[in-house]
Amino acid sequence: MFSFRRSAVAARLRIRALRRLSRIFSSENSSEARGRRLLRSWLTAGQRAQFDANRYFDVVGCDSGRRYRIHYGTMTNVHEIDAACRPKIGWCFVPAGYLVAGDIMLAQKIALETNEFGALAVANSFVPKETPSNIYVPC
Amino acid sequence: MATQIVMDHTGDTRHYFDANDAQALAKAEEQFKKLTGDGFTAAVRTAAGDVSQIRAFDPTAEETLFFPRLVGG
Repeated sequence: MFSFRRSAVAARLRIRALRRLSRIFSSENSSEARGRRLLRSWLTAGQRAQFDANRYFDVVGCDSGRRYRIHYGTMTNVHEIDAACRPKIGWCFVPAGYLVAGDIMLAQKIALETNEFGALAVANSFVPKETPSNIYVPC
Repeated sequence: MATQIVMDHTGDTRHYFDANDAQALAKAEEQFKKLTGDGFTAAVRTAAGDVSQIRAFDPTAEETLFFPRLVGG
């Protein structure tokens, strides 16, 4: 009787562990996770550290030398910042089609670092607002 | 193995090819021309970690990344 109960409990624990493993596997192989991995692998060491700590990173525009902060997100997530890292103006531009956040952020980084004026030419500007996911930390 | 990474709704799709194989190289170049012709931007990383856009197929690139054309949001 005791042995039967023990094996039933062990079976339940095994099933629970398998479910947990399955959840971890699914989340690490989701399109979101793949996008984040791709983004991290293309960031510079400094940008990667900044992204891991704050979920945003800064880039310098190749044409003007202006600084931009790219926040984790899929829209209205690029802010031009001043010397004190305060947002000056928001720029909204994204790759066409449905892409995950990491991919969009990587495309925005590459565009600003290699063809800044080209990216801004298609972008719409907006007044950046501070939200919980978008809090400004002074430089 | 060299890689062409194409951003898509799954995160990305990767095409691996042997840069020493002429046939594989030709196929990769064809893929490059098709994607860039469809409006994708191609980018590579330099050894120093800088990113640059390329407009012609680079057979020496270890990794080439493609993302769709940018539009205003």
